[in-house]
Amino acid sequence: MKTIRCITAALFLSVLLVASGAPAQQPGGTIIMALGADPETLNPGITTGYAVGAITANIFSGLIRLGPRGEVLPQLATAWQVAPDARTYTFTLRRGVRWHDGRPFSAADVKFSLEEIAGKFHGRFRIAYANVESVTTPNASTVVIRMKTPFAPFLKMLDTFNAPIMARHLFAGEDIARSPRNLQPVGTGPFVFQSWARGDRVVLVRNPNYWEPVYPDRLIFRIIPNAAQRSTALETGEVDVVTDFYLSKTDVPRLRQNKNLRLRFGQPIPALDFMFINTRRSPLASAKVRQALAFAINRDQIVLQAMAGIARPAKGPFGDGFKFAYTPETDYTRLYPYSPERALKLLEEAGVARGSLRLSMVFDAARAPLAAAAQIIRDNLRQVGITVDLVPLERSVMIDRVYVKADYDLTVQSFTSNTDPAIGYHRIYLTAPSGQPFVNATGYSNPEVDRLLALAAQTSVVEERAKIYAQVNAILARDLPTLILFDEVGVDAARAHLRNLWQGLDARDAWWLVWGAK
Amino acid sequence: MDGSLPLWRYILGRLLQAVPLLVGILVVNFLLIALAPGDPVTVLLGEYPAPPEYVARLRDEFGLDRPVYVRLGRYIANVLQGNLGFSFAYQVPVVRLVLERLGNTLLLMGTSMTLAALAGLLLGVVSARRPHSPLDSGAMALSLVGYSIPEFWLGQLLVLLFAVALGWLPAQGIRSTRQEYVGLAAALDVGRHLILPAMALSFRYIALIARITRAAMLEVMHQDFIVAARARGVDERRVLWRHGLRNAAIPVATVIGYNYAFILAGSALVETVFGWPGVGRLLFDAILQRDTPVLLGVLLLVSVTVVLVNLVTDVLYAYLDPRVRY
Amino acid sequence: MVASVEAVTGFTESRSLMDFWRRYRRNRLAVAGLFLVLALSLVALLAPLLAPYDPMSTSLDSLQPPGTSRHPLGTDDLGRDILSGVIWGTRVSLLVGVTAAATAVLIGIILGAVAGYYGGYTDAVIMRLTELFQTIPRFVLALVVVALFGRGLAKLVLVIGLLAWPQAARLVRGQFLSQKSLPYVDAARALGLPGWRIIFSEILPNVLAPVIVLASLDVAQAILLEASLGFFGLGDPNVVSWGGMLNHAQGYLRTAWWMSVFPGLGIALAVLGFNLVGDGLNDAINPRLHE
Repeated sequence: MKTIRCITAALFLSVLLVASGAPAQQPGGTIIMALGADPETLNPGITTGYAVGAITANIFSGLIRLGPRGEVLPQLATAWQVAPDARTYTFTLRRGVRWHDGRPFSAADVKFSLEEIAGKFHGRFRIAYANVESVTTPNASTVVIRMKTPFAPFLKMLDTFNAPIMARHLFAGEDIARSPRNLQPVGTGPFVFQSWARGDRVVLVRNPNYWEPVYPDRLIFRIIPNAAQRSTALETGEVDVVTDFYLSKTDVPRLRQNKNLRLRFGQPIPALDFMFINTRRSPLASAKVRQALAFAINRDQIVLQAMAGIARPAKGPFGDGFKFAYTPETDYTRLYPYSPERALKLLEEAGVARGSLRLSMVFDAARAPLAAAAQIIRDNLRQVGITVDLVPLERSVMIDRVYVKADYDLTVQSFTSNTDPAIGYHRIYLTAPSGQPFVNATGYSNPEVDRLLALAAQTSVVEERAKIYAQVNAILARDLPTLILFDEVGVDAARAHLRNLWQGLDARDAWWLVWGAK
Repeated sequence: MDGSLPLWRYILGRLLQAVPLLVGILVVNFLLIALAPGDPVTVLLGEYPAPPEYVARLRDEFGLDRPVYVRLGRYIANVLQGNLGFSFAYQVPVVRLVLERLGNTLLLMGTSMTLAALAGLLLGVVSARRPHSPLDSGAMALSLVGYSIPEFWLGQLLVLLFAVALGWLPAQGIRSTRQEYVGLAAALDVGRHLILPAMALSFRYIALIARITRAAMLEVMHQDFIVAARARGVDERRVLWRHGLRNAAIPVATVIGYNYAFILAGSALVETVFGWPGVGRLLFDAILQRDTPVLLGVLLLVSVTVVLVNLVTDVLYAYLDPRVRY
Repeated sequence: MVASVEAVTGFTESRSLMDFWRRYRRNRLAVAGLFLVLALSLVALLAPLLAPYDPMSTSLDSLQPPGTSRHPLGTDDLGRDILSGVIWGTRVSLLVGVTAAATAVLIGIILGAVAGYYGGYTDAVIMRLTELFQTIPRFVLALVVVALFGRGLAKLVLVIGLLAWPQAARLVRGQFLSQKSLPYVDAARALGLPGWRIIFSEILPNVLAPVIVLASLDVAQAILLEASLGFFGLGDPNVVSWGGMLNHAQGYLRTAWWMSVFPGLGIALAVLGFNLVGDGLNDAINPRLHE
C-alpha cells in the first residue's frame, strides 16, 4: 500500500514538474553581466581590478577554487596534501588539460605563473608569495611548494582571483606588463575569449574542451558606467546579472519588489568601510578626541541612508564578518553608542573648544556610498561643533593625498578582507611602509599590535586566533586610529530564470555551472 | 574696400591663420596637464600595493620622470607624426580609443543638428507667416524657454517621462543588449535609442534657429520685390519659401557652425545622462581615471575640430556672401 | 558736446534714461525677465531667512515626496530638504554667475579697449589670444581645469571668468575702433589728455550700453556653465548648488523625480531671466523696425 502511494506520489510529482514547464538542465543561452567600467587589461596576474577578475575568472583557472561556503575545491589541481607543519604543499595536477590555443597544460605553467607573474606583480598574492621558499615540479603533473614560514590563508589564495595560472609558452621571456597577450587572453578555463569592444562589451564563448560540462553558450559583459543605469538594465532584462560591487544599494529596495529578479543577500567575503583618522595631526593625535568622534558619528544613520539599510553597523575593530576576529567585550555598540553629549564632554576634556576644530574629509568622488557617508559624517560632526570640509577627489589624486602625502584629517575608505583578515584587514592597523597605497594611512604604529597581528597570520587554529584577536581588539578599541563604520552586506542580483547561481565564494566565479540562460 | 578677394585667396589666408592657433592649442593643453597635481600611475595598479620596482618601471616607461620641456617636445613631435600617445588605463593608442568613440558622437551631433535645422526652420517659417499671432507669440516664448533650459536637465526630464513613466523609449545606451540586430533592424534599434538624446541636445538649437529664421523671413517679407510679387498675385507661399528661406539659410548654417563648440559640450553632457558611448563620455571617464594622454588627446581633437569647423563655416559664409571676405 | 556726437554718429533716439526705460517697459518679455531676475536676487539675498532648514543638514526623513508641510518640495536620499537646497542654490548660482560675468567683462573691457585704441602690435596679440580662447571649447577646458586643479567656488568663478572674456573684448574693441576716429576723441587728444583717461573717461561711457547687454547674457552663460560643471560632479562640494543637486539626482531618477525637477527648474528660470533681460536691453538700445 505504502509502495503504491509512493509510486503514485512520484508519478504525480514528475507529471507536475513536466507540466509546469520546469526548465530542463540543458546547455545553451547567453548570460549578460553588467560591469561598471572597462577592465584595464585582461591579465589577472598583474592587477586586482574587479572588472578584470570578473571576466578572466572564466578564462583562467587556479589550482583550486573556493565553493560557496569557502570550501576548497579542485580546479587545475585534483588533489593536494599539506604537510603537518604547514610548510609544504603538494599538488597533483589534472591531466589532459589544454590551453585555448591547443597546447598542453603542465606543471611548468604553474611554476612560471607563480614565480614570474602572480608572485611578482599581483597585489595580494605577492604578500603571500613572500612566504614561499621554492616552487618545484618533480614531474609534469606535480607541483610542490615549500614555505619559509607557514601562512594560514595560503591554500585559499591559489584560486583564479589571486594566483591565476597562465601559459608559460606565451609569456616566457616577454615584458609581461606590456605584452599584447594581455588583450587576447588564452587560458584553460571554461570560456574562451572572443572579442572586446571597448566601452561596450566583452564576449566569451564556451570552451568545448573543458573537463566539466559548460552550460551557457556565451558570456557577455556589458559595460555600463552609471550605477542607476545598471539597475535599470537589470529591471528591463537588458542584462541578467549585476554583482554586489556594481549594484547601487539604494536601488535594492526597489529591485526587491521585482518578481523577475532574484537577490542574494549576504557577504561571503567580508568587507569593511571605515574612516581613517590622521593621528599625526594635532588634536587628532589625542585618543580622547578620536573617541569623541566615535561617539559623535551616527553609524546607524550611515547604514540606513548611505546603504539603504543594507549593511551592518560596525561592531569592533575588525567588524563581525569573521567570528574569531570579533570580541564581545570590545563591541562598539556598547563602547561607543551614538551620543553627541558624550562626544562633547570628551572634546571638552581634551581641551578642544567647541567650534574651534576644522577638519578636512577626503574621499573618492566616484564611490557614491562613501560620498554619502562623508556627508552624513559632516553633518554629525557639525552637531558637536566640528566643521568638516568635504574634499572629493579623483581616485588617483585621492590615493596620492591620503597614502603618499598623508595630507588629510579624515578619510572614508573601504577594504575587502579577501577571505581572511590577515590578507585584507591587518593592513588597516599594521605599521605601514610609507608611500604605498591601500595600507594604514593613519600614522598609527604600535609594535605590540604588529606583533600580535603577525602571530594571528601564522596561526591556523581558530580558537587560538580568537584569543589573539581579543588582545588586539582591546588595544585598538581604546586607541581607535581608525573608526570602523560598517560591515558590508553584499547584494547580488540576477534574473530569475537563471539556475544554480552563486556556486563560488566570489560572485564572479562558477558561471559555467549556471543553466537556464536564454 | 569691399573685400572682393577671390575665394581661394581667402581660404589660404584662413588656413595660414589656423597654424599658430593649432600650436597655441597644443601648448595650452600640455601645460595645463603638466602643471596639475596627482599621479596617474596608481590607477593602473588596482586595489593593492605593488612592488616598487614595477611602479618605477611604469613611471619610466610612460616618461613621467622627465623634465617638462622634454615631454612637451616629445609630445609635439609625436602629434605631428599622428601619434597622440598611449592610454595608461586602456593600454591602447589614444587615437584608436578616440576614433572608436567618435562615430557615436558624430551620429548624435549630426542627428541633433539635422533635427534642429529642420524643426527650427519649420517653426520659424510658420511663426513668420503670421507675426504676432498667438501661434507666433507662443512659438517665440517657447523658443526663449528652450534656449534657457540646460540640456542635461532636459535629458533627465525626457527620461523621467518617456522611459520611466511611459516606458516607450529606452533610457540609456546606443543599442539593445540582448538582441543582436543586423542590417535594417540594427539601424532601427540605434534609431530608437537615439531619439531621446537627440531631442535633448537639439532643443536649444531648434529654439535658436527658429528665432533666426523668423527674423530672416520677416526681413525678407517687407522688401520691395516681395510686395511686388504679391501685387502680381504670385502665390504667397512660394514667395515665402524661395526668398525667405534663402535669406535664412546663411545665418542658420553659420549659427550651427559657430556654435559647434557649444554643441560639443552639450553632447558631452547628454552622453553622460544617457550613457551614450561617445567622445564626451570618454572625456568624463578619462578625467575620473586621470588618464593624461586621453585627456590631452580629446582636448586636442576637440579644439582642432573647432578650428576646422570654423574654417569651413567661414569659407561657406564667404562663398555665399562675398562681402565678408577680407 | 553730447549733441554734436549724436549728430555725427547718427544716434537718433534721445539717450536719456527715462526714454530708455519707457522703451524697455514696452517689451513684456523683458519686463518679465527683469521681474524674474529681481525675484531670484531677493531669494539669494534672503536665503538664510527664507529657507526652512540648513540645506546640508541630514535627517532620517529620506526620500519624502513633495507635498508635505514639513518638506514642501520633498527630501533627498539623505533626508535633506529640497526647498532649502533650491533656495540656497540660488545664492550660489547668482553669485558665481554675476561675479564670473563681471570678471569676464572687466578683463574684456580692459583688453578690448587697449586693443581697439592702440591698435597695431598690441591689437594683433590680443586678437590672437581671443581667437585661441574662443576656439578651445569653454566647457571642455573648464572641465579639465577644475578636474585637475581642484574644486571650490573661487576657482570656479576664476575659471569661468577667464574663459568668457574674449566676447566682451571683441565687442569693446569693435566699439573702440569705430569711436576712436570721431571728432570728440581728437578734441580730447588735442587737449592733451593721457591715453588711459581718454579710454576710460571719454570713450568708454559711450560704448557701455552694448557691453551691459553682453554682461547680462554672460551671466546666463556663466550660470549654465557652473550648473554643467556641477552636474559633472565638479562643483564645490561644501555648498549646495543646483548643478550638484542634479548630479545627485541622476542616481535616483526612478525613485525620486523631485530631486531632479526642482533644481533644474531653478537653473532654467535663472538663465531665462538673464537672457530675457539681455534681450530686452538690446531691443531698448537698438530698436529694430517692428512690423
